Amino acid sequence: MVSIKPEENEDLTAQLRDPVTVRSAFSKVVRLYSEPLYWQIRRMVGSHDDANDILQNTFLKAWGSLENFRGEAKLSTWLYKIAVNESLSFLEREKRRDAVSLDSDETPSYVRALYADDSVDGAALQQKLMRAIASLPEKQRIVFNMKYFDDMKYEQMSEILGTSVGALKASFHLATKKIEQYIGNCD
Amino acid sequence: MVKHIGNILEEVREKGFAKPSAGLKVPDGYFESFCERMEAALPARPELESPEAVAEAQRPHTLWQKVRPYVYMAAMFAGVWCMLQIFTGLSNSGGLQPMQDNAVMANALSNDEFMRDYIFDDVNSWDLLDEMMEDGSLDSDSAWDAFFSEDTPAGQTETVSAEYILPQ
Repeated sequence: MVSIKPEENEDLTAQLRDPVTVRSAFSKVVRLYSEPLYWQIRRMVGSHDDANDILQNTFLKAWGSLENFRGEAKLSTWLYKIAVNESLSFLEREKRRDAVSLDSDETPSYVRALYADDSVDGAALQQKLMRAIASLPEKQRIVFNMKYFDDMKYEQMSEILGTSVGALKASFHLATKKIEQYIGNCD
Repeated sequence: MVKHIGNILEEVREKGFAKPSAGLKVPDGYFESFCERMEAALPARPELESPEAVAEAQRPHTLWQKVRPYVYMAAMFAGVWCMLQIFTGLSNSGGLQPMQDNAVMANALSNDEFMRDYIFDDVNSWDLLDEMMEDGSLDSDSAWDAFFSEDTPAGQTETVSAEYILPQ
């Protein structure tokens, strides 16, 4: 997760409000946040192509509603919120498509995408962990990814997901238990 | 044997797989090209990038555009005034007017003939007698004499003409 200093955050926010610098400031935002947002989205949706589309939509939405960003929250929190919402909407659409598709099996589209994608790599342990994460319910998967891979603070996660810190902690705990069970069953 | 989750997750972390990108690949130079594509794809937002130009474009130029809000406001007040006039007129026309303001009615009521023919003709004499005896304008003896003459059967209620009762 990208962490920029508070004063840099303020500078960037001020530049985003200035008509002269708004476009160049937004380009900075894209350069700064495209990679962390991409991984967050990719871990949620699985395939590179879908993650690429969602990332583009995320920035287009942010650009389209820039006047709604008042600078009260951190820029990163605002962008993560848009990215998570876009990813959840995508997964919801996929779920609906899976439900109406006659030839779909019971494997969630996320897992299918993850393993159909040849851009997945890694050792056996890592593969096992990814499968375990893929088996988690959607919300738990998001919480686990944010905490374990992005090392995000619960307070920021709470702002992004609109859930209480206590619920997030419980969700992370449940997720780790399920991963333990999954890997235990594989061994 | 089941490994403890802490150990597994720690092991993954130690091997450097706990990074957001761990285990996932992207095409070479993806992020650089993405930023360039994204910058090119951002649509123009004149309201953000040149708000003065947008404000200038929205500023009224013709005389009609300038006075239009005032004309609309005046029309609105005129409408409200008209409605008030209509409602006030309606409520007044439904109410009772004082008798002295109605010349026709005052004239009719001062005409004895009209009163006798149209107002008092069907008055119940017992009610009138009671009323007159109560206010003292008739003593009980003369009332009996007036209403129980020889040709009127005793106890029968009769309609009397106003000339017997009205003060002359």
